[in-house]
Amino acid sequence: MSELLPIASARRTAAALWTEVRALPVLGVLTAVAAVTASAAGLVAPWVLGLLVDDISAGADRGDVLTYAAVIGGAALLAGVLTGLSAVLISRLGETVLARLRERVLDRTLHLPAPTLDKVKSGDLLSRVGDDVSVVTTAISQTGPTLAAALLTVVLTGGGMFALDWRLGLAGLAAAPFYVLAVRWYLPRSGPFYAKERVAIGDRAQAMVSALQSAPTVRAYRLEAGHTAAINDRSRAAMDLSIGVFRLFTRLVARMNRAEFVGLGVILATGFLLVREDLVTVGAVTAAALYFHRLFNPVGALIMEFDEVQAAGASLARLVGVADLDRPTGPAEVREPADGTLALTGIAHRYEEPLVLDDVSTTVPAGTRLAVVGASGAGKTTLAGIAAGLLEQERGTVVLGGVPIGELDRARHVAMLSQEVHVFSGPLIEDLRLAKPDATEEEVWAALAVVGADGWARALESGVDTVVGESAHALTAAQAQQVALARLVLADPTVAILDEATAEAGSAGARDLERAALAATEGRTTVIVAHRLTQAVMADRILVLDHGKVVESGTHDELVAAGGRYAELWRSWHVADLGVQR
Amino acid sequence: MTALTGGQLLRRSFRRHRGRLTATTALLCGHQAAETLVPVLIGVTIDQAVSTGDTTRILLWLGVLAALFTSLTLCWRFGARLGVVAQQRETHQLRIEVVSRVLDPRGHRTGRRAGEIMQVATSDAERAMYAMHALTLVPAAATALAVAAVVLLTIHVPLGLAVLIGVPVLVAVLQVLGPLLTRRATAAQEAAGHTTALATDLVRGVRALRGIGAQDSAAASYRRSSRATLGASLRAATTNGVYQGTSAAVSGLFLAAVAGFAGWLAVDGTLTIGELITVVGLAQFIAEPVRLFAIAGQMLANARASANRVADLLSAPTVLTPGTRTGPLPDRGVTLRGVTYRTLTGLDLTVGPGETVGVVGYEQRDCDALVELLSGAVPPEDYEGTITVGGVPAPELDLATGRREVLVEHHDVALFEGTLRTNLMVEDPAPALRAAAAEDIVAAHPDGLDHPVADRGTTLSGGQRQRIGLARALAADPPVLVLRDPTTAVDAMTEERIAHGIAELRRDASTVVITSSPALLAVADRVVVIADGHVIASGTHTELSEVDARYQEAVLR
Repeated sequence: MSELLPIASARRTAAALWTEVRALPVLGVLTAVAAVTASAAGLVAPWVLGLLVDDISAGADRGDVLTYAAVIGGAALLAGVLTGLSAVLISRLGETVLARLRERVLDRTLHLPAPTLDKVKSGDLLSRVGDDVSVVTTAISQTGPTLAAALLTVVLTGGGMFALDWRLGLAGLAAAPFYVLAVRWYLPRSGPFYAKERVAIGDRAQAMVSALQSAPTVRAYRLEAGHTAAINDRSRAAMDLSIGVFRLFTRLVARMNRAEFVGLGVILATGFLLVREDLVTVGAVTAAALYFHRLFNPVGALIMEFDEVQAAGASLARLVGVADLDRPTGPAEVREPADGTLALTGIAHRYEEPLVLDDVSTTVPAGTRLAVVGASGAGKTTLAGIAAGLLEQERGTVVLGGVPIGELDRARHVAMLSQEVHVFSGPLIEDLRLAKPDATEEEVWAALAVVGADGWARALESGVDTVVGESAHALTAAQAQQVALARLVLADPTVAILDEATAEAGSAGARDLERAALAATEGRTTVIVAHRLTQAVMADRILVLDHGKVVESGTHDELVAAGGRYAELWRSWHVADLGVQR
Repeated sequence: MTALTGGQLLRRSFRRHRGRLTATTALLCGHQAAETLVPVLIGVTIDQAVSTGDTTRILLWLGVLAALFTSLTLCWRFGARLGVVAQQRETHQLRIEVVSRVLDPRGHRTGRRAGEIMQVATSDAERAMYAMHALTLVPAAATALAVAAVVLLTIHVPLGLAVLIGVPVLVAVLQVLGPLLTRRATAAQEAAGHTTALATDLVRGVRALRGIGAQDSAAASYRRSSRATLGASLRAATTNGVYQGTSAAVSGLFLAAVAGFAGWLAVDGTLTIGELITVVGLAQFIAEPVRLFAIAGQMLANARASANRVADLLSAPTVLTPGTRTGPLPDRGVTLRGVTYRTLTGLDLTVGPGETVGVVGYEQRDCDALVELLSGAVPPEDYEGTITVGGVPAPELDLATGRREVLVEHHDVALFEGTLRTNLMVEDPAPALRAAAAEDIVAAHPDGLDHPVADRGTTLSGGQRQRIGLARALAADPPVLVLRDPTTAVDAMTEERIAHGIAELRRDASTVVITSSPALLAVADRVVVIADGHVIASGTHTELSEVDARYQEAVLR
């Protein structure tokens, strides 16, 4: 319940990105070429200015000056075009990789196995597909292009300085150890800080989701102030961490400035000595100083972006952590069940200690209904999950039509409606098409008709195209259940598992929903977790569970006649039914 | 609340941190001035020391360079820190304002999903406050340009003028693309917001998807949305690329012009070599403050788009305009007279002190409307008829009083992250747990009431969740308690126990149980049947069961 999804290591995150970039070879190469030539075009100006200085000292004429100016202008135009092009290409590359990554993250999240899903914080789940994606998006759309350009400028300018004179190049390199020391001072301190910041942001998201999703209850119990205060505390904690991270960053920048001063000072001093010894021209020293000065911003940007990159890296690691999860693979060889007979043999299961299910065996012949009856905590839901192949039992087998459930295309053959009903935001037809993406509008209407929902659906403002869900047209609990049943009809499984699916209907709709559930499961092998005994009465056979064990099984009449646990349940039900007051 | 625009929101934020922002701006201006003097100093050093070979001078100018760097670094360090503190605090404050607005007891008419609200309270609040950074960057960049201009004018007046005129022209040229940048950026952000909302919606419904094996088609639907967002992002990136390219080309051409002009003057000796280097160095450096203007513009554009969304949400109207009347109230119970709302048409319902009333609604929508009315979420202008709580017309009550008097436990039980104890919210929940037949849930865990509960109670079964929710409602012990189908996920025997437990515990208070459960109805003092929006029958459960066939059908198991 309070676990986090995996977070990838830095090495693994980088490798995952590289794999994605390699999947786009043409775009990758084009981007690299455009970025390198853009930076190279930027080197022309200082070089030409150095030549200009020397030529003027040597007595150049105005024609020469104009030529130099024209060369600088031409290089500027070229640099402009290439800078724009590389910015576009870098974004294209980054955004495409991001889009693929976020799609995979969502895919993996949706395919999380049931036990993991129940254990993970919902805030963590939501911030992976929400907040983390946003952070990486900002990094890619805003800082990515700048970062790439800065990196290239630094490398090429360094080369330019050596080309002027190797001693001036070495002088410039004097700054390098200071830069390295600055970064090495910073990284080990900032890394853990960022990690803490991300966790704090996750906690904040959790607090917000909790309050926003449950707003009616928050209002009913007048908990607004408490929830706002909790969010305030968590948001403040995250804020304090963010400010702390930045203070650390400003100390890094101070170290960067020191490196800049050292580099520039050494170049000027070296230039001074070299010019005095007549080893280089004043123009070369000028160009070297201008080159180095030009590096302040790209190096600053690199470190600045490095900071953002680190923040984005933390989010990226969280995305890759999820993207790397194994997608549950189907069976190596998909087998087709011979018929719809569902056989459970010797099923045992536990979450923590005591066994929740202990040696449960039963067979549901094709096309018949089995009702599972028992007190809360008897293990009904667990049995339903195992029968549906969503939970893996500790012991025992689940076999459909002679094929173990793990060896068939589960999604096609088995469907389960759980206790939690969710209406997906968007047009109603899109919600239903989740169950069958290629369903025609006629098929959708037919499915709605089966579950008796075509009446109200037709009365909606735009029929099945009406936007439903939290912010749009809110459906009633019973309508939401009908939509869930209609999805089942469209999914058209061999086996249907209904876990208290009609229970949510409330007073008036329960009976209608029972009818709808009957219609939706007509002809399918069906397991109904029943607590309304009418559901049991309508079943072909009843299984009574108590503390994880089968205590009785048989038809309604048999069990009532037997006078056991079921008969006792039925009596209390029936007594209330007749309105006999005690 | 009066409508707030994004611009007003930003101005308000700036005002709240005026002191910090002023100090930040001053320090960053100092930093930029120092940065501008670096190329000047390079020129002077080359002119005075490198080209003369004078050892005293090189030492002197290197010392000046050290002093310049010291002030440069200190200005930035403390200026930037102050700025970030302002930005972070204001982001936090905005986030809390958004949360408070959305959780306002009076409700909100924003029409936004939880996912979108999350996006506004997190990313948009953050992005909006980038405006603070942009705001301090503009004067800092202007300072750099001013210092450069003064130096240039001192060296040569026409050259200085050329720069002074040239730079604003540059900025103006770059501003032409501004509105398009904003539009594209907004579209990309909106698309991203939509895709994120879709992702969180799908993840919330993951159990429903898994049940019917629809994860793949859900992922495909997300992929479509993700691709549309990619398209919008690429359009924004293209505009941005044009902007970046134009910016680079224009400032480069400017450098060429200045170099040509200065070189021309240097050929006939009007400018020294050192002055030429300073002029060229400055012209090259000037690209930087110009770029800062560009960055600030882009930041403001993004911030404006986000600020608009935050402001929209903050100024969304409330649903209710509550009264001012506080307790104690003259009477107890709740009365609805001739109430017409949604599907209800002239509903009359009275729940007196000490009375437990069962409500059977043949239509789900009637029950929904009734619960909405009783929970006090409907403004009086939206319904006809009167609702009185404790003898006072409901609209006259202040909100806290109204909700203390009438508590609605919704059918969809929402538990919160914490423990069983924190969810029950009382000192001694034992009687309520007993009445809700929920003692076994506590007993099943070694840590008892301190057993942790996940958000929305996902670690509990549906039946457990429902019973803890019921215990919570009973423990709150409100004068009027409204329960909606409180036992749909529990078995028949437990339901019996709960029915008697509720009757016992609520003997002296008023209780409304909207249900079709015979067990619950059997213990009610009176049962009211609602059909076609009004009461069609009332009596005890026994009476109604005996004479009314439709009733039998509705509550029969």
